[in-house]
Amino acid sequence: MTENSSAETAPRRPGAAAESRLPLGARPARNAVIGAGLIAYAWIVGGTAPFSMKALAGVVLPGAVLGVIAYARPPERIPAPESLDLAGFSYWMIAIALLFEWEAAAVRDGSPPWHPSLTNLIDPLLGPHPVKSAAIVIWLLSGWALVRR
Amino acid sequence: MSTRTITIAGFLAVIGALVVLELMGRSRRTRIPTVGEWLGYVMRPAAGRAIILLGWLWLGWHYFAR
Repeated sequence: MTENSSAETAPRRPGAAAESRLPLGARPARNAVIGAGLIAYAWIVGGTAPFSMKALAGVVLPGAVLGVIAYARPPERIPAPESLDLAGFSYWMIAIALLFEWEAAAVRDGSPPWHPSLTNLIDPLLGPHPVKSAAIVIWLLSGWALVRR
Repeated sequence: MSTRTITIAGFLAVIGALVVLELMGRSRRTRIPTVGEWLGYVMRPAAGRAIILLGWLWLGWHYFAR
């Protein structure tokens, strides 16, 4: 797989490079505040009722914030590889296609108890408030990891 | 073995395969990229970045807002 000629290099704000070179433990107070804020936010969103406006806002708000950061104020990104080994990458695509196929087969059947979809299997696991909040923290952190890529 | 058990086993097998691929990618003994590497590659063009971020947003909506 070759490099895409339309690849873009995101603009970086001044000082971002120097900031991001600091090791994670170099700013413990700031990290603690951010961590506490993330956990508090996840706890609040985890307690909202499904299909409510509050639950929707709890997801859309971090999405909007990360979208703005990704395009307007991107942090120094972890350099992406110039190329990928096609065979190695194809293993990932095959596994992901299998996951989608398995899920689609269950959804097509209407996700009955005898052929449940992944969503119907995961939803009960996310029922307890602490579990759902922890999952939201992981989701938020994965969003940040994507922005840094 | 019930069809429910087979369905769950299928999901576990595929998710297990994804974990194994990530471990193989991190081992550096194969040419399999890690999830971070291929996501980074896919996100090089702006369109790829938008699609991946929208997928992340959809996951959040799917599991946490509904």
